[in-house]
Amino acid sequence: MSTTELAAGSDKARVTRRGIRLSAAGWLGGAIILVYVLVALTGSLWAPYEAAKILTGAPFEGASLAHPFGTDNLGRDVFSRVVLGTRPVLTMTFAATLLAVVAGGLIGVVLGYLRNWVDEVGMRIVDIVISIPTLVLALLIISAVGNSLWLVVVTVAFLFTPRVARVARAATLNVVTNDYISAALARGESTLSICLREILPNITGIMLVEFAIRSAFAIIFIGSLGFLGFGAPPPTPEWGLMINEARANASNSLWPVLAPAAAMAVLVIGINLFADSLSRLIDRQGQNAATEAK
Amino acid sequence: MSKLVLTRLGMALLSLLAVSAIIFWCVELLPGDAAERILGRNATPESLALLREKLNLNLSAGERYFDWLRSLLSGDFGVSLVADRPVLDYISGRIANTALLSGFALLLYIPISIALGIITAIYRGKFADHAISVIVLIFMCLPEFVIGILLISIFAIKLAWLPPLALIGQANSFGELLRLIALPTITIVAAMSAYAVRMMRESLIEVLESSYVLMARLKGLPTWRVLLFHALPNALGPAINITALNVAWMIGGVVVVESVFEFPGIGRLMVDSISHKDVPVILAISMVMTGAYIATNLIADVLVILLNPKLR
Repeated sequence: MSTTELAAGSDKARVTRRGIRLSAAGWLGGAIILVYVLVALTGSLWAPYEAAKILTGAPFEGASLAHPFGTDNLGRDVFSRVVLGTRPVLTMTFAATLLAVVAGGLIGVVLGYLRNWVDEVGMRIVDIVISIPTLVLALLIISAVGNSLWLVVVTVAFLFTPRVARVARAATLNVVTNDYISAALARGESTLSICLREILPNITGIMLVEFAIRSAFAIIFIGSLGFLGFGAPPPTPEWGLMINEARANASNSLWPVLAPAAAMAVLVIGINLFADSLSRLIDRQGQNAATEAK
Repeated sequence: MSKLVLTRLGMALLSLLAVSAIIFWCVELLPGDAAERILGRNATPESLALLREKLNLNLSAGERYFDWLRSLLSGDFGVSLVADRPVLDYISGRIANTALLSGFALLLYIPISIALGIITAIYRGKFADHAISVIVLIFMCLPEFVIGILLISIFAIKLAWLPPLALIGQANSFGELLRLIALPTITIVAAMSAYAVRMMRESLIEVLESSYVLMARLKGLPTWRVLLFHALPNALGPAINITALNVAWMIGGVVVVESVFEFPGIGRLMVDSISHKDVPVILAISMVMTGAYIATNLIADVLVILLNPKLR
């Protein structure tokens, strides 16, 4: 058994012995995320109406038992639309963030490990893409390629990738000086294998936190695009788009505006609480590992 | 040190050049060519050919890019396809409006975030800190268009204190202007301060726990002196970085905020121009915004270098 595997093995044991200890706020955040995921998975089974069904009641009805969040200008049930909106919103967010973290993570790890001219050129490109305001670039790309649900996902992933790559590269620079990397090199492991099997497992924590933080950003970003009319096309019950459609009639009824806004805000707060607590946990583990190493 | 500053300046100019190519290429991908977009459905093959000739569309994309770049350097941004007047003329008024809005926002943002940062740092762990931190967290998690719409619902629709839309062209006195611009300004300030207060708190706490602040306290200096002359200057570096981040955010965020309030600024013009496919205006605004973004980061970099004796 190599030293690397020994280290990794003892690391695993420590985590399981202590269990995952999140703060109370972290648990609350995790619970909020779980509820949204459950709603996204099962919503279509119990939502009272279909998302696009018009005239389920009179337009601009207030809250009642039949319509807990009232109805919008077309008489669509706002509660059903918010509930059914969790699926497209969570899917887009998860897909965009996952793409960005995988692509950005790989780029960052490889660049950080190589540290030669490839790294130099790669980081310059990353700097240049980052120096364009995200929203401006997003509007340009989406107006050029069109705004289907998946093109929005790919665009958001593309915009987040260089930012993730920076974080992954910085994390890699902290890891590559470790002895187990030299050991792996001496064993004759290939570059790819060192990146994937030696570096990646050791920055998983940082990448998890990055994933959580990025997904909160992604929800806001996708919501903003929807709000500007550059997100998923109507009649997708995406929250940003719903807010955009409803705000012209805000003086008639505030429910169609406030319900999706609140749904979005609670989810983002939940993710942030969870991410905050997760990053503290990982910081502490890193410190423990450092003190034990001494 | 001047070498460091010059390197940064060179990098900024290079990025701007690279960005211009990226933006030009994105716009090239817009469906249909400029002639089809201008003439729309009334296009005949002859008129299309004539207009293509006039707009140099027969040249390759590369040639047109360098043409555009050359005229950009001589201050010529082309002619708007929709408004049929020089782009510079068309967007300068909008830029001034956006600058006014951002200026007001910055003016309010700085004292508010410093004051709240100090309060939360001094009373850390106490009620005031918890209360402010919770509010800050909520504002951080709300997208700016949600903050804007909440403000409209409360102050314009329920209470009817302020106008819901910021059509500042209609203002005929300064007081009127302030009323119209109040809600968008508050929206931007709320979104920006949230991050700043959190970061200010962290960096101030670090400074307050340092030995030189303890020394100043032990000398018997009053708290306000310790804060103003010992703690604050040392928290300035991070504060400048946060402000730069915020200004950079604002350059994108302004697009959303202006759309919420139908504020006649450069951000809303960007959205309108994209839906009208007004390419010269889209290019000009993208360049102006990216230029402002890069300049902000450059200024922050230079300020931090100037403030840090180790780099001087």
